[in-house]
Amino acid sequence: MSMQTPKEIGGIQFGLMDPETYRDMSATKVITADTYDDDGYPIDMGLMDPRLGVIDPGLECRTCGQHSGSCNGHFGHIELAAPVIHVGFTKLIRRLLRSTCRDCGRLALTEEEQEEYHEKLRRTKELGEDWSDVMKAAVRQARKAKRCPYCSSPQHDIKHEKPTTYYEVQDVLSGDYSELIAQAMQPDPDDEDDEGMSPQALAEKTGIDLQRINEIMSGSFRPRKEDRKALEKALKIDLTEEDMNKLMPSDIRDWFEDIPDEDLSSLGIDPSRSRPEWMILTVLPVPPVTARPSITLDNGQRSEDDLTHKLVDIIRINQRFMENREAGAPQLIIEDLWELLQYHVTTFIDNEISGTPPARHRSGRPLKTLSQRLKGKEGRFRGSLSGKRVNFSARTVISPDPTLSLNEVGVPERVAREMTQTMNVTERNIEEAQQYVRNGPEGHPGANYVKRPDGRRLKVTEKNCEELAEKVELGWEVNRHLVDGDIVIFNRQPSLHRMSIMAHEVVVMPYKTFRLNTVVCPPYNADFDGDEMNMHALQNEEARAEARVLMRVQEQILSPRFGENIIGAIQDHISGTYLLTHENPHFTETQALDLLRATSVDTLPEPDGEEDGEPYWTGHSIFSELLPDDLSLDFTSSTGDDVKIVDGQLVEGTIDEDAVGAFGGEIVDTITKVYSETRARVFINEIASLAMRAIMHFGFSIGIDDESIPPEANEQVDEAIENAYERIQELISTYEADELESLPGRTVDETLEMKIMQTLGKARDSAGEIADDHFGDDNPAVIMARSGARGSMLNLTQMAGCVGQQAVRGERINRGYEERTLSHYKKNDLSAEAHGFVENSYRGGLTPREFFFHAMGGREGLVDTAVRTSKSGYLQRRLINALSELEAQYDGSVRDTSGTIVQFEFGEDGTSPVKVSSSEDGDVDVESIADRIIESEFDSEEQKERFLGRVEPPTNLSEHAGPGLNKAIGTEVESDD
Amino acid sequence: MVDVSQHNLVPEHTVLDEPERVEEVLEEYNVEKTNLPKIKRKDPALRDTDAEVGDVIEIVRDSRTTDQAVVYRLVVE
Ligand SMILES: [Mg+2]
Ligand SMILES: [Zn+2]
Ligand SMILES: [Zn+2]
Repeated sequence: MSMQTPKEIGGIQFGLMDPETYRDMSATKVITADTYDDDGYPIDMGLMDPRLGVIDPGLECRTCGQHSGSCNGHFGHIELAAPVIHVGFTKLIRRLLRSTCRDCGRLALTEEEQEEYHEKLRRTKELGEDWSDVMKAAVRQARKAKRCPYCSSPQHDIKHEKPTTYYEVQDVLSGDYSELIAQAMQPDPDDEDDEGMSPQALAEKTGIDLQRINEIMSGSFRPRKEDRKALEKALKIDLTEEDMNKLMPSDIRDWFEDIPDEDLSSLGIDPSRSRPEWMILTVLPVPPVTARPSITLDNGQRSEDDLTHKLVDIIRINQRFMENREAGAPQLIIEDLWELLQYHVTTFIDNEISGTPPARHRSGRPLKTLSQRLKGKEGRFRGSLSGKRVNFSARTVISPDPTLSLNEVGVPERVAREMTQTMNVTERNIEEAQQYVRNGPEGHPGANYVKRPDGRRLKVTEKNCEELAEKVELGWEVNRHLVDGDIVIFNRQPSLHRMSIMAHEVVVMPYKTFRLNTVVCPPYNADFDGDEMNMHALQNEEARAEARVLMRVQEQILSPRFGENIIGAIQDHISGTYLLTHENPHFTETQALDLLRATSVDTLPEPDGEEDGEPYWTGHSIFSELLPDDLSLDFTSSTGDDVKIVDGQLVEGTIDEDAVGAFGGEIVDTITKVYSETRARVFINEIASLAMRAIMHFGFSIGIDDESIPPEANEQVDEAIENAYERIQELISTYEADELESLPGRTVDETLEMKIMQTLGKARDSAGEIADDHFGDDNPAVIMARSGARGSMLNLTQMAGCVGQQAVRGERINRGYEERTLSHYKKNDLSAEAHGFVENSYRGGLTPREFFFHAMGGREGLVDTAVRTSKSGYLQRRLINALSELEAQYDGSVRDTSGTIVQFEFGEDGTSPVKVSSSEDGDVDVESIADRIIESEFDSEEQKERFLGRVEPPTNLSEHAGPGLNKAIGTEVESDD
Repeated sequence: MVDVSQHNLVPEHTVLDEPERVEEVLEEYNVEKTNLPKIKRKDPALRDTDAEVGDVIEIVRDSRTTDQAVVYRLVVE
């Protein structure tokens, strides 16, 4: 037994396998279809032969001597009674049959054609393009050859009947040739001049003996080819019919054996590894039992694997075939059995062939055979190799915790006790390590395993932990529990962009959910309606370092998709900052301190003034406390509000979504780019905290009464809708009087529909305006819509004014009964209410008919999203697979793995979207960044001068190292949290 | 027939006539000719040029990210 040492794979070569190799590697020939005898022992040379490997524990493998678990199993083989076609190669077999000579096996291309073909092949390979198209073109050309250019034997076209039948199509003499000739010799009844043709005339015209002609006409002599041609010419008829000559697998095998090696390489087959005749199976390898283990059911009965069932079928038919052949059974029966054997071997390989009924289990379930094990999402490749289950991972429901930093994740203690980190015991941490072990596997910062330097792993148990702790020495490894500050990877599916997987620092917490700060919801697209997320504990120092430097949440604040921040204030945070800054309210000292209590600001600035003898602070100055002292910024939010920040003070403007929101909040974006990710993280954390205190200070709630409008407003809405109805009635009358003028490029009907839709749209908008006028600026729904926190004015319109037209496929609702939507309406009623206009508001309530139409429109939305997600998911998968090999090179170009250039400069400008300004006018202030960095780089003015002035004092260490040149000074890495 | 080269969305295509220029480009990007992106000889944009298979075409196009981007393509059949 050789030691199994890990080896590096240098390459993988795909090819066909020689049947001799099957026999050589076979542990045994399999001849009986039975598996176990009555005593439950595997039968020799049966499908469960112990030489094929062992699955029952305790038994010994008769081939390698190992026990189950260490024996991987061994292949056996079945000698097929007759060759059959391998379904996996039907296309290649067809291609070879069509392109090679049936007699000599050579590729049916003339020397010149071959030369041309090889030249083309060479060129496409050089260009790195797909050469299979070139080859297919050559095959098409070879197929056209009527005669072999080498042995000049005539060639026939090949018809492929899926999946595994091939015919040669030959023109042969029609069976009713005598009648055809007689008919053609009769005079044409429609043509009076035609007197037909006498046998004598025919004999003269064709040069065939009169006697022979008579014999032919009586059907007693079949004309030879030349005579047939002459007759056809003389009588202007076709005496042939297509004859399908079936090619048996054995014929094909003989044919392929003749194909010379040179021609194989022309056809893309490497003759040193693969011979085409091996595509016709004469020996079938039997997979080891470990690949098709049988299971024992509760009642003691054995249940065999699908593959075993299929192999049983194959062996049975194989035996019957042999018996029949030996008994000299008629050809018809032999052919039937041959076809049956082909069917079983085909379905053994692939049970989802179109045109072939799948082999079924007794219960009717289709069998899962070789192909089915590999193919598809749950198959071996996508399911078992690309997607494996992982150790050190955890999954649970997520819930929000605004007290955490956005870099952190709350991990339940139970999870922390299961996920471990390896600690190498050194003299610096030995006491710590011992304490972990002492705490045992149940206590929280405890340990689960220790590993001695000799490689033995010991489990830490409640019983042995005290004892084990004393034994821990230098050089041991301790697998300790996760503790606060450890770095882990956190992920929510679907992982559609890189921000779906980010690194967080652990905070161990009670209860059973993962906790995260609400500002990281947008990158994960997470909410808390039952979403679950996965966590992975990193297992080596490189992974932890990479995660901390590259993957931490704060490093992902800017999205590479649009180059602006994707992390920022959301929902209530935005309502909060809006309330805090919109009307610039005043706060007393207590209130101001309370607002800032969750931030790092612990001293208030100078008060903004005095009111009734008490000092007060404005919302603007409280907000400004969170800004960097030297930040200056000017921008106009999408609501048209000018925001002005001068030297870290908010001078004017309201802070809304455009200022601090996720998806491109101006202030967050600028701080990230101009200051640092760390500063941005601090800012976002503190904004969220301040906003929460602010929204709680003012109080914020929404109820049904917040959407009610006074009765007079309701009347106005009704009036607006009534007006619209009248206008529609006018339109309809004009239409019915045939007086409606059509719009350019539209029919009259379309014009009417458009005008009605337009009128109703206007009606809803005016209803919205009326409702809007009656809402105060302090209405919570209005605040949310204006600040961009949640919802829109349209939502408000629909709640308070009028829901409006329901649409299916962008049109008014037109489906349902004949000429009408519901039986409540007259046929061809064109009015608004008959086609899904909902005049009521959500608050007022919909009528049953309105409700029905609304459900129709709503359903379309649901179907659309369902279809869109599956469609776009598949599209995304294909796009990712196509683009995954592209790589930005160090020279700035983007190339694929073959080195072909895709972009000469990444993005044509060679810049990363997250490193450039996201707006046209607001450039990143490089000057001030440079100043700040230089400032912090040097301890003293003197040092700075020396460096910038390039005054290098002599040094005795090296010519290139000296004070001011040593960059390491002052760049000590500081921990952020 | 429509002359596509006059359309404002079709960028300027010029054949790199001098072998030195081709050499320069290949050197700059450290590539074989065959690793350049390809363009068909019969591409409508090349109709007015005397480009032959194996030539390198310089295309100067307007860019969303920079004002002008220069790319090179190898003419193939
Ligand atoms: Mg959800
Ligand atoms: Zn074995
Ligand atoms: Zn031949």
